Amino acid sequence: MLEDIREVWRYRELLRTMVRRDLQVRYKNSVAGFFWSLINPLATMVVLTVVFKYIMGNPIPNFSAYLLSAQLPYLFFQQSLMDASQSVNAGAQIMKKIYFPREIYPLSNIIANFVHLILALFVFFAYLIVIWLRHPAVFPIPWTVVLLPLLLFVNFCMVTGLGLLFSALNMFFDDVKYMLGIMLYLLFFMCPIVYPPEYIAYSAQIPEKWRPIIYNLYFSNPIAYLISAYRRILVKAPEYVLVGGVKHPPLELSVNKGLLCLAFSFFFLWFGYGVFNRYKWKFLEKP
Amino acid sequence: MREGAAIRVSHVSKTFIINHQGVGSLKTAFMSRYRIGEIEKREVLKDISFEVKWGECFALLGNNGAGKSTLLSLIARVYRPTEGTIEVNGRVAPLLELGAGFHPDLTGLENIVINGVILGMKRKEVIEKIPSIIEFAELEASIDAPLRTYSSGMMARLGFATAIHTNPDVLIVDEALSVGDYAFTQKCFRYIQSFRANGGTILFVSHDATTIRQVANHVIWLKDGRIEAEGDPNEITDRYLAYMTAKSEQQRLAEQG
Repeated sequence: MLEDIREVWRYRELLRTMVRRDLQVRYKNSVAGFFWSLINPLATMVVLTVVFKYIMGNPIPNFSAYLLSAQLPYLFFQQSLMDASQSVNAGAQIMKKIYFPREIYPLSNIIANFVHLILALFVFFAYLIVIWLRHPAVFPIPWTVVLLPLLLFVNFCMVTGLGLLFSALNMFFDDVKYMLGIMLYLLFFMCPIVYPPEYIAYSAQIPEKWRPIIYNLYFSNPIAYLISAYRRILVKAPEYVLVGGVKHPPLELSVNKGLLCLAFSFFFLWFGYGVFNRYKWKFLEKP
Repeated sequence: MREGAAIRVSHVSKTFIINHQGVGSLKTAFMSRYRIGEIEKREVLKDISFEVKWGECFALLGNNGAGKSTLLSLIARVYRPTEGTIEVNGRVAPLLELGAGFHPDLTGLENIVINGVILGMKRKEVIEKIPSIIEFAELEASIDAPLRTYSSGMMARLGFATAIHTNPDVLIVDEALSVGDYAFTQKCFRYIQSFRANGGTILFVSHDATTIRQVANHVIWLKDGRIEAEGDPNEITDRYLAYMTAKSEQQRLAEQG
């Protein structure tokens, strides 16, 4: 595996060029360029804010920021996996013509999406600053934001591992892209993005003795944890969360689950790259 | 003259696995566990060994399906040999399929950079050579237009010009290479000749005996994935032509019944 990593490093210049190409192609054919790709999260945010805040009356202050802080990382997760899983297949024509490390195909897609996430986070912070200017009494950016690079790193490892895994599997099984689409759709609702996790912890529908177990299981999902961690460090926690008409204090994230999430993301990276390496020379000669 | 060989191929075999139902989904993958009989192993190359020395013009001769393309793909590291090793020294410019990584929505200029880096140049190096590449490709007028507006000849010119600016030690040329109109083809031939005159190494593939006699100084005849004969161009091409004539005569008789 080390030799493979060294080979990718030798081709870092190409990787950089491919990332640049991905971004160029994405932002090229439209006047607004980068802003078009922000439309998706912004439109979703507007719709969800209207539904959850103005129709259903969710009392969480600054609901839009609350939503975006979880939604932007999830979009990165979703889009990179979709792009990466198709990347090797899409590159098959080039692969037949000329050699370069096959990791470059998914990696360049993931890195391009990562750059995009960083840009989107800049827009997010700009939005928070606009709010601050309108309400100077409360500065909306908590100090915990210094932990952001750590989260981005863990997130990147996780996505890279899964991206390599799915891009390799996708070469052999056409079902992978459909399965991935469904999984990502379900995962969106299994993560605390459009609702706070306290909905699970205090749910009136779940019997009281089951609640801790289900809450535990819920946060054993590394993506659910990661998304909450983003939200936790990017926006101030609300003073209370309303579940079934009762005010509850917001719950802190467990450190153990954080370590589990970390372990998961390194495991994904190791396992995904392992699978990729094992099958990368079979991509063009599958039976 | 440099010591050693530009390309050294030793005991290379390549086997492809061909599945006649085509596994494409999880369902067929599970089903085919119980129907192993339909998988066929096809040995395309068998125990191939040769050396291309520096400064040589080395030709691979053989009819369709002899394994020439597979051998070139192995040298280009597109496939891995099932057995044996291939050692390639120096910078190789494969003029087999031009314009790897070309993207239709990017301009000619942007595509030069990407293609150049794919071919192994540093980004800075490519950017320095851009004027010379554009001049060789004769595309001054449309270099800032997106590639989808190019004709296939223009794309081939751009690909060829970029490939030769990688400053290669070894050229791999497929004789069937098409690079646009007559004038440009002549320009490419002039380039290849001057490349050779300056001591460059060429590996080329052909099924045309006349070309091989004119340019090559060493020939390998591939037949059904094996080396049938190796050596002097005149001698080998004579044997090849005799074999081909006999074969077509046989076919003619078979057709007449």
